[in-house]
Amino acid sequence: MTTAEGPDRGESRDPGSAAGRGQGRGPGSVAPPRTERTGGYYHLLKAVVYRDLLVWVRYPLNAALGLFMGVFFFALMFYGGTLVAGQAFSDSIEGLIVGYFLWTLSLGAYQGVMSDIQSEASWGTLERHYMTPFGFGPVVFAKAIAIVFRTFLTSTVILAVMLLMTGTTLELNLVTVLPVATLTIVGALGLGLVMGGLSVLYKRISNAANLLQFAFIGLISAPVFDLWWARFLPLAQGSAMLQRAMRDGVRLWEFDPLTLGVLVGTALLYVGAGYAVFGLTTRRARRLGVLGDY
Amino acid sequence: MAGTPSEPSTGQVPRSSDETSANGAGGPAVDPDEAAIHVDGLAKTFDSGAEAVTAVEDVSFAVEPGEVVGLLGPNGAGKTTMIKSILGLVLPDEGEARVHGTDVHDHPRQAYEHVDAMLEGARNDYWRLTVRENLRYFAAIRGQDPDAVGDRHAALLEHLDLAEKADTAVRDLSRGMKQKVTLASVLAGDVSVAFLDEPTLGLDVESSLKLRRELTRLVDERGLTLVLSSHDMEVIEDVCDRVIIMSEGRVIVDDTVENLLAGFETQGYRITVRGADETTLDDLRERFDLTDIERVDGRVRFEVAADTATFYRLTDAMEAHGLDLAGVETVQPDLAEAFVEMTGGDARGGPGASADRQGWAANAGGEAPRASGPPASDGGEPR
Repeated sequence: MTTAEGPDRGESRDPGSAAGRGQGRGPGSVAPPRTERTGGYYHLLKAVVYRDLLVWVRYPLNAALGLFMGVFFFALMFYGGTLVAGQAFSDSIEGLIVGYFLWTLSLGAYQGVMSDIQSEASWGTLERHYMTPFGFGPVVFAKAIAIVFRTFLTSTVILAVMLLMTGTTLELNLVTVLPVATLTIVGALGLGLVMGGLSVLYKRISNAANLLQFAFIGLISAPVFDLWWARFLPLAQGSAMLQRAMRDGVRLWEFDPLTLGVLVGTALLYVGAGYAVFGLTTRRARRLGVLGDY
Repeated sequence: MAGTPSEPSTGQVPRSSDETSANGAGGPAVDPDEAAIHVDGLAKTFDSGAEAVTAVEDVSFAVEPGEVVGLLGPNGAGKTTMIKSILGLVLPDEGEARVHGTDVHDHPRQAYEHVDAMLEGARNDYWRLTVRENLRYFAAIRGQDPDAVGDRHAALLEHLDLAEKADTAVRDLSRGMKQKVTLASVLAGDVSVAFLDEPTLGLDVESSLKLRRELTRLVDERGLTLVLSSHDMEVIEDVCDRVIIMSEGRVIVDDTVENLLAGFETQGYRITVRGADETTLDDLRERFDLTDIERVDGRVRFEVAADTATFYRLTDAMEAHGLDLAGVETVQPDLAEAFVEMTGGDARGGPGASADRQGWAANAGGEAPRASGPPASDGGEPR
């Protein structure tokens, strides 16, 4: 308790402090400021891509180790394989490079979106992304684009090192490779959204998430020409098409419509399903009050 | 106002002068389209069956544009859940929340045009980015072109004493500065309504004072509507027009800071007299609520809970006994005491909030005994 002289404490009070600030101004005396929007989706996408790159380079050791390990594992396979299998291995090196390139791409997209969601929750920024006038969906979509963009940058560096290391040349027709690779890893993004959504809800799912990374190897090397249904698996159709595009020089317009349709259809199916699961899990997390927990 | 010393005890909580309903009962008597924030019948229970925990129960209130409302309550009172329910980050079981007339749950994008929140103090932004990069990013995801609002950001940083640190990574700043960066990033999107959950948590006295001054200035200059949750009573007293006190998921008090403190006038006098013998003291004790009686150097000092009328009766009685008045002090309660009193007498809240409130109101008469015993209303039911 504090004390003040005089029988009437009301008179001795400082109205500007203890009585609150309402006396002088009063609620409702100020018209609500109008929120004028000066930006749009372009500014949203630009900011999200820039922020993603900034955060990536501001963890320099993590970024450098990611690139180094990508190259290191390929070097192990290449030099180990050459030692063991000699010419036979060298003959299949193009397929290995394309497969490895796609694996780093899909892993980057999958891990990128999943770890981004987990990191945002732990930083306390996930909920702020929910409260935007764009809506959570477009913001998450912008994040996915940012992650795919960054993954292409890093995987392209690894691809360049692999080509230099092996002395191999590949057909790198961007008009073909870029859309096929993008549509392929969109499926991986869908899986990342599923795991990201589950991590929002259950927080620790690293065991399952890590195991799924190895499943990517099987999906990338799935025999889509021998098993008709295998082409509907995530990554499988795109992987087969990328092999033909980069090894045999097949152009985008030279693929038959059914093959292209399966590529587009599976990409949309898996990213759509991933987004739907992400929507359901975030809604469930909101119901349980754990959206911002980590 | 219910609960003022001159009125009879009703057990009612104080209400705001705008007739805002404290708990349900048809919702706030304010046009939902006129209010900056309009909450009606909000309820949230986590889990079910024996595990059920009612975090928010039938909460209704309104906040006018430009008003600053303090949200008080012991840990677990439901403050954060209520804020998150209003913002749509937690799905409520019942009720609705509107921001500038837009239902947050039906039309979240429209509602988020106006509102943002600082939910966990220093978290909520990117520590690896610089202060300016944070502001630019959060402005962009709130629909602003960072270049177009660059001048406003510069002014904001200037006012928050962050201009010199604009290009410093947030992680290299002190805790107080991190808090201010989060606040700045919330305001960077030019919102008109902001929720600040524990904005001064962990700050030293000086940093807290600075932040309070900045909040007041920002509210005055920008006409912001603020809902500010804090355990720091001084922050609430300094910054807020009105206080909502929650206990066990319910609003137990919704009133202006001034009225809230005025309700405690009764508690307030420490009187020192000369010439009081035991008979006189017995007589006074019988008629008034004398406490802390002590003898000091031949004088008698005691405290008494009394409103103005009771105080005059007491002085009349002292005059009749021929006592020589040596000193009168008012014992001025602060918001912390009001809060503890209303939430059940301990910092954790718990049962008894309403009962104590009744006791406080009853005691306002000066001669009625303080209520005691088990809680009398739902505000005191253990869950």
